[in-house]
Amino acid sequence: MSAPSNLAARVADRLRGLAGPWDVFAEHSRRFEIHLSGTRVELTRGPLDLEGFGLRLLRAVEGQTGVGFQASTDFSERGVRTAVEEAETFARFNQFPAKHPELPGGRPSTGDGAKIVDPALWSDPAGALERYGAALLAAFEGRNGVVPSFSSIKATLTEASVANSTGLTYAYAHTAVETEVAVKAFGGPEGRPPGEYWFSDLGRRLDPGPLPTLAADWARFAEDARRAKSPPNGEVPVVLPPDVLAGIVPAVVRFQFGASARLRGLGVVSESQVGAEGLDVFDDGLLDWGVGSSPVDDEGTPQRKRKLISNGRASQLLYDVLHADALGAASSGNGVRTSGFDPGANLWLKFTRRPAPEASTIVIPPGNGGTDAEIVEQVDDGVWVQQIAWAQPDEMGGRFGGEIRIGYRIRHGKLAEPVRGGTVGGGVVTREGTPSLLHDLSVIGSRPKLMGSLSSPTLLVRNLSVSGDDHAPAPP
Amino acid sequence: MNLDSKSLSTSATTPWLGVAFRAWSGTRWVETAVSGLDGRALAVAAEALESQLATGRTGGPPPGPAATTVGSFDTAPPRPMRDLGTEGTLARVRELFRWATDDPMIKFVRVGLSWNEEERHYLNTAGANCYQRFDRVRVGVIPVAIENGRSEYDVLQVGSLGGQELLDSLTETRVHQATAMAKALLKSRAPPSGLMNVLLDPGTTGTFAHESFGHGAEADQFVRNRSYLQPLLGKTIAPEFLTLVDDGSIPGAWGSIHFDDEGHPSQRTLLVDHGRFVGALHDRGTAFALGASPTGNTRRSDFLGQAFVRMTNTLIEPGDWNLEELVRETRDGVLLERWESGMEDPLGGQMQLKVRRGHRIENGQLTDLVSAMVLSGGVLQFLRDIRGIAKDENPEIAAGYCGKGYGDLLPVGDGGAYLLSRALVGPS
Repeated sequence: MSAPSNLAARVADRLRGLAGPWDVFAEHSRRFEIHLSGTRVELTRGPLDLEGFGLRLLRAVEGQTGVGFQASTDFSERGVRTAVEEAETFARFNQFPAKHPELPGGRPSTGDGAKIVDPALWSDPAGALERYGAALLAAFEGRNGVVPSFSSIKATLTEASVANSTGLTYAYAHTAVETEVAVKAFGGPEGRPPGEYWFSDLGRRLDPGPLPTLAADWARFAEDARRAKSPPNGEVPVVLPPDVLAGIVPAVVRFQFGASARLRGLGVVSESQVGAEGLDVFDDGLLDWGVGSSPVDDEGTPQRKRKLISNGRASQLLYDVLHADALGAASSGNGVRTSGFDPGANLWLKFTRRPAPEASTIVIPPGNGGTDAEIVEQVDDGVWVQQIAWAQPDEMGGRFGGEIRIGYRIRHGKLAEPVRGGTVGGGVVTREGTPSLLHDLSVIGSRPKLMGSLSSPTLLVRNLSVSGDDHAPAPP
Repeated sequence: MNLDSKSLSTSATTPWLGVAFRAWSGTRWVETAVSGLDGRALAVAAEALESQLATGRTGGPPPGPAATTVGSFDTAPPRPMRDLGTEGTLARVRELFRWATDDPMIKFVRVGLSWNEEERHYLNTAGANCYQRFDRVRVGVIPVAIENGRSEYDVLQVGSLGGQELLDSLTETRVHQATAMAKALLKSRAPPSGLMNVLLDPGTTGTFAHESFGHGAEADQFVRNRSYLQPLLGKTIAPEFLTLVDDGSIPGAWGSIHFDDEGHPSQRTLLVDHGRFVGALHDRGTAFALGASPTGNTRRSDFLGQAFVRMTNTLIEPGDWNLEELVRETRDGVLLERWESGMEDPLGGQMQLKVRRGHRIENGQLTDLVSAMVLSGGVLQFLRDIRGIAKDENPEIAAGYCGKGYGDLLPVGDGGAYLLSRALVGPS
């Protein structure tokens, strides 16, 4: 693999003589997609080729910092000049309470960095997608009455680069893979409607190796959806695997522990007890294959691992350059350009966004709770939630809630009948003294799994609110 | 432009240009795309497309006839946002911010305003040549009240095609209603939990129309045998008084378009006509496969996005109840207010709707304010259980973004009136 192109340096060359501080973040992305309808390829896309840069100027405005920002896809001398003029105009209007923000300088010391490039995907993206699609279909061959009804795999190959007025210039490559597979179990002979398990994930690798195991799990969930009943109603112990936690924990933690929330009087209170005693939670920008991992953040500060919750208490925060200056701290390497709630876009349309404090990959280290089966053994009457439609947490209030798409009743330490419909919800990170998922943990499993922006084992929460219409007493 | 209690940020993207190419390989569509209009880059993208055709051109012709529409629509508003300039826009944002911070209980406020000018030009080898230009404006005010470590917020949000006239609809009274609600939520109770009568406010009814029903009526899911609605086409699925449409031709509505991204004109498509499921939303391929006609619903999020079946403005038409009658009819249950999101389940036919707040309904009266809720249930059962729909006393098409599956966000409008049915509810 050749050295990644440094488009930011190309823009920086056109900015010689421009007063600092300024920085440029640039991307060249190529995207490839394959879409399957049943077993038929209905659409292939790619290369979808995109180049762009975001220019940021920091200007002193009435004792604060005026941040001028402009994104563009025009790398010509005229295009860059237009971006500068626009950014200067905006900088005069804008205000942020930083006095002397310092951009990182020199060549960042990044060590070996995390693994974030899938080499096979990089060298032959279209071929890798075709092979993955074929492996996916092969994983379902021989399964009676269970098929993938729809699949979409999107791979993005990006060369990212950052340069600034202090002379920093850095470029790196990364890959991203968005997977969506809908697995259908046909209706039974007694007239049951069909069942579906709709899987999605965002990762960095296109690895067909686990597909046979995954397909077996997905097929079982789809089959069980056909016969699922409504969950119970009330406060019950709930087991949440990483597949579900990935949609809940990162969104709340990144807001609550972001310096942006702290600056605005929102988010966690320092040293408050937000988690169970013994619980540590990290943000790790150097985790191999983490979707938030990269050698440097989007401002050029080296990424690192940072403890956010220590023994259950709120500890460190996530800083970018501006918020660090405003709060008298140093950047933690969490200046990230995000694209709102479209997670896939966060990995290749960053240049259109300004940096803000943001988590990389949230890590809940494994505990001593054992395997999933051993966790279930500790529950007399509860619910295993395998999938929530969309947890969509309220990051400010620290709560979540969503419909159970598939789960299982736990009776006497064993998974019993499947449940579906109804809702599950509660706090994630809430003010001290109120119930929450992280505070009311009774078991932390021993086997971590990386899903989206979270690495976590399965967790058992003492009580979460479940709504359903199953009022019948449990069978003996 | 974003203004909050600590910072002001305004920024823009310079004109972002790009081209998507699509061709039929004989067995599938293939696409390439490139940013910019540089001739060399366009040639590279076209060659990449041709190379894929060269290796795969066997099989039959593309599905269905291509559009041949020729037309040009420029919907430049009489008072474009551009004319307001940065200073003028900032003055309006500051005014909204000042109204929202009048109350000392409001500890944090964020005002966000965005507008964009969008041009789309569609050409094909059959002669279609469709140009359209839009201005879209969206404004949101979020006041946050904090007390004893508890934070609650409300949201005032509007959006439409058009210009400065949208800002005129954001009055001081409406902003104060949002701040009062944020404060009141600090004292709100947890919502009830379980199966109960539910009264949806107009925005939540619109979200139901789009997320819970509309996604199941997108015919690409029919072709994949992935819609719970497909076997029910032509059958009665709801009370006679329920009519549900997708309409991309409503002037000024947030989700409106003149042509779709295959060159078909937008239109009003009846999905449920007086309780009977009568139609689906089609692109060229699904219409051909299912013996129907394209409905003007093929949309790309942008030149990088895929063209497939999407909604525009999805609406439940008003009924003949008034709100007081519906509350009395509910008797015991909950009113769900201020929609936040929904999630589709195209094959399973389940539904998730989330709202910011609501009120208990007890003995036919609105009582306590309750905090955020999530609603769940089977869509078909929910439709069967509908007991009444209100008159359309204050029609408004809510401005949202729809992702189909897990991406490809584009603007869609939802609308409806108060609607009474029955579902599971829990806290969120």
